[in-house]
Amino acid sequence: MHELSIAQHIIEIISGQCRKSGYSRIESVNLRIGRASGIMSDALLFAFDAIKTESIAGGAVLHIEEVPVSGRCNECESDFIVQEDYILSCPHCGGSSFSMIAGREMDIIDMEVS
Amino acid sequence: MKVKVVTKILEANERIANENRRIFDNAGLYVINLMSGPGAGKTSVLEKTLTPPAGLRIGVIEGDIAGSDDAERIARCGAPVVQINTGGACHLDANMIYEVLGELPLQELDLLVIENVGNLVCPAEFNLGENLKVMVLSIAEGHDKPLKYPLMFQESSALILNKIDLAPYLDVDLEKIRRDASLLNPRLKIFEVSCRTGQGLPEWVAWLKEQILRHG
Repeated sequence: MHELSIAQHIIEIISGQCRKSGYSRIESVNLRIGRASGIMSDALLFAFDAIKTESIAGGAVLHIEEVPVSGRCNECESDFIVQEDYILSCPHCGGSSFSMIAGREMDIIDMEVS
Repeated sequence: MKVKVVTKILEANERIANENRRIFDNAGLYVINLMSGPGAGKTSVLEKTLTPPAGLRIGVIEGDIAGSDDAERIARCGAPVVQINTGGACHLDANMIYEVLGELPLQELDLLVIENVGNLVCPAEFNLGENLKVMVLSIAEGHDKPLKYPLMFQESSALILNKIDLAPYLDVDLEKIRRDASLLNPRLKIFEVSCRTGQGLPEWVAWLKEQILRHG
């Protein structure tokens, strides 16, 4: 829902890093976004393209790797990946006590600069 | 040329949130981030927390997209209050809080309540530097809400189930709300409250005082 402000954060971070590394142009950026992060990839791509024009990221292409939601059951200790965005019970034993081990990521991994 | 970034996108927000937290700690202040969908009764719960006085000195930051109705309601209760208008943004972020901290007598307060923008989704994502997240759900919103908006239930330490006096007039399944909310967050403390009848409010205020005392 707040993909536009997320896109602004991304541009601030990558522009700063690009200048610090002594380059003047960002070609592409790789992100990892968890499926339970509340961020929709399509909306983020749209927002990024809409606001990138006025920065050194003007020509940058955004690549998003979506991270599935996975959990570890506190009862049978098995790890599992879920198709829905949220874990509601362990698919192995049906237990309702678990820890989310992935799916909330919102990370910038690396970028191509010139 | 490939450059490693390896940065959390919300890192800037986290940094400012940590700075806010440092300011709160230095002032000996306990801070709550109060969240809910629009109309759940955040401001009403706050009014009832402020009056009758519970022996706490409470300041309030009101976050809304537009308008100052909520800040006026809080000011009428005698509490120092600052209104933030986000001008369209669906949540408060740490920097919005940082910028208004100078307008409140932080040293004179025991508790600062930040009333977030009415929204069950985005506010849960942004740390403001608070000690505790608390959410309000009015039972008229329906029993499907925990499973539809899981993040807020997972992030909150307490859930205030407001408008409980409406239960006889609604088909809402309260047991399902309690069960699903506890499933998402086994540590969630649940209060059943009515701002009209006063039900459950003493328990909520007592719990709040206990958290502040425990924090020291």
